[in-house]
Amino acid sequence: MLFDTTQLVVALLWIAGAFALAIALIPLLGTLPPRGRFALISFVTFIAGLFFAAEFFLPVGEDNKNILTDPFQKMQGSLQVITALSLGLGTYGLVRLHLRNAVQRRPQWGYSLVLLVAFVVMAFFSIWNTMAEKGLFGIERTQLLENAFTLLFDYTLIQLDATMFSLIAFYIFSAAYRAFRIRSIEASILMFTAMLVMIGIVPLGKLISDSIGLPAVQTAEMRTNPFMLENILYNLRLPQIAGWIQETLNAPVQRAIEFGVGIGALAMAIRLWLSLERGIN
Amino acid sequence: MEARSIWERMMRIDRRILYVILAVNIIAALMARVAIEPDVPPPVKRFYDTVEALQPGDMVMVSSTWSAGTLAENQPQFEAVLKHLMRKRVRFTIISFAPPARDISHRLARRIAEENGYVEGKDWAHFGYTPDIIIAIKGMSEDIVQTIRQDVRRVPIADLEVMRGVKSLKDYKLVVDVTPSDTLGNWISYRPPDLKILYCPTSVMAAEAYTFLDSGQILGMITGAKGAYEYERLLGIVGLGTRFINAIQFSHVLIIFFILLGNFGMLMQRRASAS
Amino acid sequence: MSYQHAEDNWFAAILIAFIALAVLVNIWRARRGKALYIRRIPGLDAIDEAIGRSTELGRPVTMIPGLTGFGVEAVQALTIFKYITKQIARFATPMRLLTANATVYAVAQEAIADAYNEAERPDLYDADSVRFLSSEQFAFASGVAGLIQRERVAANFMFGIFYAESLIFAETGNIVGAVQIAGTVSFTQVPFFVAACDYTIIGDEFYATSAYISREPVLLGSLVGQDLSKISFASMIVGGSMISTFIGTDHPIVQLLGKPQGWQPFVEWLSQVLGR
Repeated sequence: MLFDTTQLVVALLWIAGAFALAIALIPLLGTLPPRGRFALISFVTFIAGLFFAAEFFLPVGEDNKNILTDPFQKMQGSLQVITALSLGLGTYGLVRLHLRNAVQRRPQWGYSLVLLVAFVVMAFFSIWNTMAEKGLFGIERTQLLENAFTLLFDYTLIQLDATMFSLIAFYIFSAAYRAFRIRSIEASILMFTAMLVMIGIVPLGKLISDSIGLPAVQTAEMRTNPFMLENILYNLRLPQIAGWIQETLNAPVQRAIEFGVGIGALAMAIRLWLSLERGIN
Repeated sequence: MEARSIWERMMRIDRRILYVILAVNIIAALMARVAIEPDVPPPVKRFYDTVEALQPGDMVMVSSTWSAGTLAENQPQFEAVLKHLMRKRVRFTIISFAPPARDISHRLARRIAEENGYVEGKDWAHFGYTPDIIIAIKGMSEDIVQTIRQDVRRVPIADLEVMRGVKSLKDYKLVVDVTPSDTLGNWISYRPPDLKILYCPTSVMAAEAYTFLDSGQILGMITGAKGAYEYERLLGIVGLGTRFINAIQFSHVLIIFFILLGNFGMLMQRRASAS
Repeated sequence: MSYQHAEDNWFAAILIAFIALAVLVNIWRARRGKALYIRRIPGLDAIDEAIGRSTELGRPVTMIPGLTGFGVEAVQALTIFKYITKQIARFATPMRLLTANATVYAVAQEAIADAYNEAERPDLYDADSVRFLSSEQFAFASGVAGLIQRERVAANFMFGIFYAESLIFAETGNIVGAVQIAGTVSFTQVPFFVAACDYTIIGDEFYATSAYISREPVLLGSLVGQDLSKISFASMIVGGSMISTFIGTDHPIVQLLGKPQGWQPFVEWLSQVLGR
């Protein structure tokens, strides 16, 4: 049984009520003057943001929850519903565009046709597969479904995904060849750093360092006497240099950028919450 | 005139030629039987030591959010980690936060489990796909049964032998996050405080994790296929990381060679123009 | 240590309130007419140049918000794209806005329609110019790459959160000879954009973009507030490093500044000191 009857009725009543409320609200919003609309939207935005902010700042009990924590988790669940609805809208837009291209034989309509056929076939077998997995409506897995799903998922989707990712290897090759030139001091630093890290992180870096006679192991004596020659030579090994660049150079810069980004995001969130951000309104 | 055109050509090799050269290089490297011992970096060593310190029967959560796109980087890590966990006879559960990740990780885990005598439901389980990672981690930190309810085979979590004595993430010793995306921040922010984290990112995402390694919020990290190779050497096994490492390192050498070639061409061309 | 609530670390919560206060105070100052300085960001100055080039060549402009889910980054990206669209509308240059998130797609449609309305060219708005391609990373990447190649775009603007697909976009744009300006908070993708794009906007310059473009007092004030917060943080780091050098890392003040559970020991120490 897919749903309990009572649950189904309750769910349908909720959905009908939400529709009725939305249908009533839209004309109401239309009758308001622009300033009134803006005030109403700002108010709703503020209350919604206040809810999340209050949940963070209110003290919690032994169970690490306050009065708003459980509704907060339900709210997050409702965001998933909005995401699912907007996915339907996006899919509709996509199919509409390509259907029109194919029907009206617009330029490159062949690609649109391929998309539509792939969309329908993949959706059909995916939905069938999910229903068979969950045993919905008595649907079972058949050999046709197994073969089709294996062909579409394992032999097509996975391979296409992996192929697109592997394009990056080729693209980074051409991008590095083109961009890493000694045009300026900064470009030179970028180039040399990249080369050091590239060779240092792979086993060849160790092989090169060993072959030129650099100490392979850091002994206890070297650790206690960091300025002794063997320790300096050990730290000139390519893997050590690459590790130093990644951990000691990269990490502080990363933190610095993250500070800025975090503060910027917080400032933007405050502006949106207080409706001070007019950008996309 | 002809000398200048050589340098110009050296600076501006057609990218299609570069792609062919790279492809040939990778194919040749994959077939080559060259084995070079790596210098195992400290994050990988700490990763290995953390798993090695587990006791039989301990619970581990493997968060698997990778799918076909990052197969080459995450699959070697995933397989090596599972083999190590099975060698230590720990119990583990797998959870996915991306839809395609569920099937890929489940199939791989089943294959490796069969090879190592692990029984699904008894020694390990797959919790399937959960859409919202934050809700999932918060929920699992309180009550896994209520949050997840059933495993990927639709068996109720409460009925799984592997979950005996486990109520929430607080009963887990470790979470291993195998991912190409930024799920790490969510694990760090929302996990129970005593739950340790090990991280298996793609090479690109690894740069972001050094701050967390430094602060001790993650205990160890294996980076892409290269990291998987180093981990496999510590484990003494031959896996995908070992098979891919030659392709990786010889591609790096090729890139460096062409960068130097391009710069050499640029310098010679400048000199020729000046004269 | 998790920070699900303020009580987990009150010091962190106080810092959040401090940042909020700094932003709001400077917004108030800006609204009162205080002139605020913002430094030049070359990548943003180049936007008009890129649009001009597209118009001359008669080739479209693409705008890509990446894999951004709907949040502050998406709002910021759409704000920038709205500005670009208003510039494009003046010259009737074709444009494509390609999204990987359906919520962003829904909002983008409205934002772009508004942009054409505000530019007084509603006739130019084509609903099909804003497209949702796919929520799957590499399906989206292949769709964008294909479109850039087929339509031979002349300018490519990438603002938002990107992952591995960033280089696919950037290099494809490079292949067709497009002028490319990228702005992202995704630290790991910055090197790819630097290598393949003409201009790259890094980190919190991305959040400064709307202030830079519009010069609105509210946004400029917010930017100054952010900078003051950053200076305070930097001072705390330097001060904390110096203090911990002299008095050791176990001191409660140092623990407050540097340790996740530092609030409780600090409060206890302070109570003891004040109690003396």
